[in-house]
Amino acid sequence: MRELSYAEAIREALRQEMQRDERVFIIGEDVGVYGGAFGVTLGLVEEFGEERVIDTPISELGIAGAITGAALTGMRPVGEIMFMDFTTLAMEQLVNQAAKIRFMFGGKAKVPFVLRTPAGSGTGAAAQHSQSLENWFVHVPGLKVVMPSTPYDAKGLLIASIRDDNPVIFIEHKLLYKVKGPVPEEPYTIPLGTAEVKREGRDLTIIATSIMVQRSLEAAQQLAEEGIEVEVIDPRTLKPLDKEPLIRSVMKTGRVLIVHEACKTGGYGGELAAVIAESEAFDYLDAPIIRLAGRDMPISYNRTLEYHTVPQVENIVQAARDLARGRM
Amino acid sequence: MATSVIMPKLEMDQETATVIQWLKQEGETVTKGEPLLVVETSKITIEIEAPASGILAGVRVGPGDVVPVTEVIAYILQPGEELPAELTPEAEPALPPSPAPAPTPDVTPSPPSVSRPATPVAQRLAAAHGLDLSTIVGTGPGGEITKADVEKALAVSQPPAEAQTEKVRATPAARRIARERGVDLSTIAGSGPRGRVQAADVLAAAAGPAAEVARAEVTVIPLQGMRRTIAERMTASYQTAPHITLTVRVDMGAFEEARAQLNARAEATGQPRISVTALLVKAVAQTLRRHPWLNSTLRDQEIHLLPEININVAVALDDGLIVPVVHGADGKSVAEISAEVRDLVARAREGRLTPADVTGGTFTISNLGPFGIEQFTAIINPPQAAILAVGITRPEPVADEEGRVTVRPVMRMTLSADHRIVDGAVAAHFLTDLREVLENPILLLW
Repeated sequence: MRELSYAEAIREALRQEMQRDERVFIIGEDVGVYGGAFGVTLGLVEEFGEERVIDTPISELGIAGAITGAALTGMRPVGEIMFMDFTTLAMEQLVNQAAKIRFMFGGKAKVPFVLRTPAGSGTGAAAQHSQSLENWFVHVPGLKVVMPSTPYDAKGLLIASIRDDNPVIFIEHKLLYKVKGPVPEEPYTIPLGTAEVKREGRDLTIIATSIMVQRSLEAAQQLAEEGIEVEVIDPRTLKPLDKEPLIRSVMKTGRVLIVHEACKTGGYGGELAAVIAESEAFDYLDAPIIRLAGRDMPISYNRTLEYHTVPQVENIVQAARDLARGRM
Repeated sequence: MATSVIMPKLEMDQETATVIQWLKQEGETVTKGEPLLVVETSKITIEIEAPASGILAGVRVGPGDVVPVTEVIAYILQPGEELPAELTPEAEPALPPSPAPAPTPDVTPSPPSVSRPATPVAQRLAAAHGLDLSTIVGTGPGGEITKADVEKALAVSQPPAEAQTEKVRATPAARRIARERGVDLSTIAGSGPRGRVQAADVLAAAAGPAAEVARAEVTVIPLQGMRRTIAERMTASYQTAPHITLTVRVDMGAFEEARAQLNARAEATGQPRISVTALLVKAVAQTLRRHPWLNSTLRDQEIHLLPEININVAVALDDGLIVPVVHGADGKSVAEISAEVRDLVARAREGRLTPADVTGGTFTISNLGPFGIEQFTAIINPPQAAILAVGITRPEPVADEEGRVTVRPVMRMTLSADHRIVDGAVAAHFLTDLREVLENPILLLW
């Protein structure tokens, strides 16, 4: 199969959905002529024109309000917030309006938008351009939260998100944009709320999100050479969460390591750990549920500090090895 | 070494405090942390604790005195130690000749006045745990005491609590496996952190001799499948339906004679023999026609009298019990019922019953006669209203109405009925009518 980068896969999903459905349009800062801060929307304004690829002033609240309003009137907008850090400015529209409207109008109104935004550290962009704030949105009923880890998943999940009748927060990772992988040319969807086992193993389950899926797969490869067979599962959508595959996997391996980039305290790992502890997998746990996550501190500008603030492959290898060998 | 007691600064802008009262007197032994005196600031009244263990001496201030903060107000001396001359307050006499109580073993020496260098975190941590910094060797730059040094000292001075408790540390998986295999967790040495028992430890132990002993005592069979269904249904029945049980003795002479005649005919015509069960089913079904309350069910707050009479026949299996149904038994001939029961029993033992064979029953007969049981009570098969427990037929001495004793074939049968639906008299009428039919099989033609 042909390979695309994660950014190209997202662009292809946008292009195919815009070709299929004229209600789909893109709006955000520098998404048009400039092609997006990370080049994701490159070339789309030439293909679809300025009416469907709309550059906005620097107003994240404005973008969130515009897509909420457009979605309410029957459009299927895809907004972009240049850095996830700045979704903080858009919170009122996202949390108090978009997430609530369908419920408050008894299902008579719907808000079918997608808000794309890149998260994560690793680019030397410091504390205000490197955060992973997914759990802010996970906590809000009415929003769906998607975090693809591969080009294939990015395309399928984005198309599914655009076709979904609810507001979807679609969280990309800056370091994944250049990662390549097989992507079918035709449009396809991955249903929201389906986890995937990315690698099978019997000794330990790693549940990872976004870029940590890639790092966990690399760690699993290394551990296989030591005879430790790691199963890697990607929830793919944090909300709704597909619990069954996680529970089944933990029942098989008895050990689970949860890996995410966001800060550990109040992070999604706590939710995953609780889901497992509350399930029938509890009686199969042969070690504490361990979280490996970002340190509880802002991301440093200093590249060395930045590197050590979030889980890296070697940290995952170490934690997984200790857990699999009964040392945790 | 003497430790000075100072008037503490308790508030940002506090300059003085007033002594309210001393809780310890000059010469009294005090322990570090014990309340020493009460002082009052502009905002609060508070107890001041002893900064060290020893003997209170050189008290310089009394109740009512207004004392600037940080001023020395007394000293704490070690046993045998004298107040240094330069510290002796002018107006105070020398210490009373010390009756010097022997130092109690838990008294710790007061820290030296020159404190060792320690990081702020280390100081805070040590203070929080009441740890004396002078007892710690620093490993930081220039011998500075670091947080790690304090933690190390704490680990030594405070052995982990679990060492003293009896509770077994084990993972949930280890506990589950131990439960399933009947292994005592407390006999297993855990290989995990802090001796935690892990699944592999239990499996190893289960494979060893200890587990064999355990297994010799208890065979554990999970409650599942048919066993579980029986357990649940019987429990539900026994707990929700108040059972009344009635027993009658039946003279089976005429019944046996009738059966012998039927079987003679069956043999003559080359047909299968008629079973006792078939005749019982027929008699019960026909009697139920006249007693619809026994052929009913309780649904929500309604009693449903059922139009069909479908008789369940309990069949014992090697590993359980199943109750196939003869549908519309009151309308079938004895030969038909006999053939049907034979077929159902055979298929039940082969596990080939279909859902239709086991559903829709309205009354159940359980016959333990073939097992030599004289009499027993059965638990109602829910949602039915009653069940008939049939015992063995065998010769017994019987007194007739004139008091003459003869030997007759006698069978005892016991009806269990749901008292929510069926009262004792209703059940009695049914049971005696059934007895009449069994004792006079000609009534089956009625």
